Amino acid sequence: MAMRFEYVQALEIRDAFERHGVRYLFLGKSGAILLGFPDTTQDADLFLEKSAANGEAALAALRELGFPLTEAEGGELRRGKDFVQIRSGPFDLDLVFAPDGIESFEQAWERRVEVDGFPVCHPDDIIASKAAANRVKDRESLPRLRAFRDYWMERREG
Amino acid sequence: MLASDDEEQAVVEREEHDLEREPERDDLPRAEEARQWRAEFEAAARRPLEQRFRYAFIRTYKPVLDDEPFRSFGTTAEYRAWCEENLPSWLGYGHAV
Repeated sequence: MAMRFEYVQALEIRDAFERHGVRYLFLGKSGAILLGFPDTTQDADLFLEKSAANGEAALAALRELGFPLTEAEGGELRRGKDFVQIRSGPFDLDLVFAPDGIESFEQAWERRVEVDGFPVCHPDDIIASKAAANRVKDRESLPRLRAFRDYWMERREG
Repeated sequence: MLASDDEEQAVVEREEHDLEREPERDDLPRAEEARQWRAEFEAAARRPLEQRFRYAFIRTYKPVLDDEPFRSFGTTAEYRAWCEENLPSWLGYGHAV
């Protein structure tokens, strides 16, 4: 079983993805946590731009980070499957190429928030994707996440 | 007619409380809960990012989900359907428990 996701690993993702030119955003609760949302989660969710070049760049970066991805698995990243779940690496990672509730990567990128060099989805996009997914765990977290969004906006505008 | 001043006061307090709940949405927090959350947000905002990470990321084994090193799905809808059909409902990845 992988270890829990550590801050130093988030830095490694940020730096490796930057070196390889990967276009990505932190999404889901891990994104909200980067924005300051006090809650718990188990894995990092990354929203990647869907293109062969970006899949190739992500594959190179992940291998550099110690994810032992086979050629066949790498092919799935290059082809841009909508959802890839990796449990074989130093930490658990979900790569999402087409999240529910978000129209396009480009639009999410335009609205992104930078936190210490981490590109993060805007809280409205995090909420939209959770609301669209409508899983039990999303419905449980949404009221508090919406309250956080209001608090975050107040602080940002204040 | 109310039997006592205490009962009348209790009715007033309930009405005020209900007003604070903004009744147009049923998933809004109660006023006390909202105050508690805000205090938590403010406390988190005072912590450095590294500390927030330490508090936020945990690791527990999730049956089925963690049993394969790699999975991919052609569409997000296929992934949602797979979760619904294969994961224990208590994990919360489905639409109902």
